[in-house]
Amino acid sequence: MALLELRHVDISYGNRVTVKDCDLTLEEGEICSIVGESGSGKTTVIRAVLGLIAGGGRVTAGEILYEGRSLLDLSPREWRALRGHDISMIFQDSGAMMNQTRRIGSCFVEYIRTHENVSKKEAWEKGEDMLARMRLPDPDRIMRSYPFQLSGGQRQRVGIAMGMTYQPKLLLADEPTSALDVTTQAQIVRQMMELRDEYGTAIIIVTHDIGVASYMADRVVVMKDGVIEDQGTREHVLYETDNPYTRKLMEAVPSVGGKRYV
Amino acid sequence: MFDEKDLILEARHVTRRFPAAGGRSLIACNDVNLKMYRGKTLGLVGESGCGKSTFMRFLVWLDTPSEGEIIYRGMDITKLKGRKLWEMRQHIQMVFQDPSTSFNPKMRIRDIVCEPLLNYGRIHASEKDAKARELLEMVELPGDFADRYPHNMSGGQRQRVAIARALALEPEIIIMDEATSALDVSVQETIIELITRLQREKNITIGFICHNLGLIQSFAHQIAVMYLGNIVEVMPGEGMADVCCHPYSRALLDAVFDTKMDFSKKIEPIQGEPPSPLNIPAGCPFADRCPHCQDRCLRERPVLKPVGPDHEVACHRFAKGANG
Repeated sequence: MALLELRHVDISYGNRVTVKDCDLTLEEGEICSIVGESGSGKTTVIRAVLGLIAGGGRVTAGEILYEGRSLLDLSPREWRALRGHDISMIFQDSGAMMNQTRRIGSCFVEYIRTHENVSKKEAWEKGEDMLARMRLPDPDRIMRSYPFQLSGGQRQRVGIAMGMTYQPKLLLADEPTSALDVTTQAQIVRQMMELRDEYGTAIIIVTHDIGVASYMADRVVVMKDGVIEDQGTREHVLYETDNPYTRKLMEAVPSVGGKRYV
Repeated sequence: MFDEKDLILEARHVTRRFPAAGGRSLIACNDVNLKMYRGKTLGLVGESGCGKSTFMRFLVWLDTPSEGEIIYRGMDITKLKGRKLWEMRQHIQMVFQDPSTSFNPKMRIRDIVCEPLLNYGRIHASEKDAKARELLEMVELPGDFADRYPHNMSGGQRQRVAIARALALEPEIIIMDEATSALDVSVQETIIELITRLQREKNITIGFICHNLGLIQSFAHQIAVMYLGNIVEVMPGEGMADVCCHPYSRALLDAVFDTKMDFSKKIEPIQGEPPSPLNIPAGCPFADRCPHCQDRCLRERPVLKPVGPDHEVACHRFAKGANG
């Protein structure tokens, strides 16, 4: 049984169908990347998996199965048990997703205490331990900092640490490296790959950076205008596909020592 | 490769300090020396906060350096004022990163692209229609777009309008600050094609700020790598990957993800983050992250030394007579 399966999913905002007939299967421990241009519906798809579609959108057709169980008719209580424990998500700028007027530690402790019944002190220690495992230097200082006092890379590591607290089987990442500098991006990419090696986490990464997507993924999904245009192994999408859109997209990626315009 | 008679602009010992709290000063640019050549592209690469935008902003008078001079047409342009400055501005123009915030949202495209021409009295108001059409067609947009507002256009189309506006005065130099970073790759490719075509046709000099080495090496003639306000390497754009030797440039190069890379290779990113520009280390700025750091690097700041044709590096490992 696949870890996650989307069957003929349609997602609509109002009367407009934005994502049409989306089929996607993810096995345990697999990394899948969804690439596409802005507005192609890639973020909408992963938000649907966590029941977090923004702006009144909803799934209007099809099924989303997690370990064979449909996610679409979960009660709010069941959702709460699933989110964070089994499936978690990291965002483009994790710092912006936190309360700007509270310290990291305060948010982290609250997060842990919504999921398990522990004392504040235990939750604090658990948080610190997670930050240390994500190789953040000086976790105690980070716990006492406000989000704006940290660099973009540190904030993103905090986001990953929070998402990984309960070692979820599925991690959804929405443009996790787009706001970062290239060297920090390389650090985060490496760290996410290590999550799979250490914890066996399956990852869906949504990104417009095709280089990052192809480095990380076992399977690449190409989306265009809300439709899955092409999908397959990395080698298929990069070298073998006959799909004209995919080919055009792959050729547009600048590469070192590649095409020169002058 | 570069002919000294094509030298169009030269920055000499440009330093910029910003006052900071506690009487300290933040050094955004430290003794920057760069040359730009007619019809060539200079790519300036570095991470956020390294001072690359600060430097380029001097060239369009959005800021002035604390020390040093920038020589253009035989004059130090940092000292210009009044009428002379106004006249000089038409020769150096700029394209900004985010095309959705660099236009007045209440102006039509026609007025946006013709405003510089009207300002310098190059055209009469009655000629606006024809001129706007001509400029839009130059950047491969339909002439009818003249009636639109910026919000009616896609990001790529808006960036074309920004290029049309910058080219309206037929400047000699254009500064582009991350002009393609907000765009999708396929759109980015078409914009780069457009820029390089216009450069060939009009022999324009381009100063391009970028953080992606993979992109900049595809069209720059000359690449300068900046770290913490210092230029650490200047090298030719063509074959850059083979000659680049500063440990920081190599780290930037290793951090490029593209579709032709070896996917089985484990990436080895440099650790940590740049130190704060408020307390720049005494020796080499890159010393605390450099895998080859020696005692000398902590004590003495390396200066740019030639290591090959059009290729200079600021690193003790490549200085003559150094060990290792």
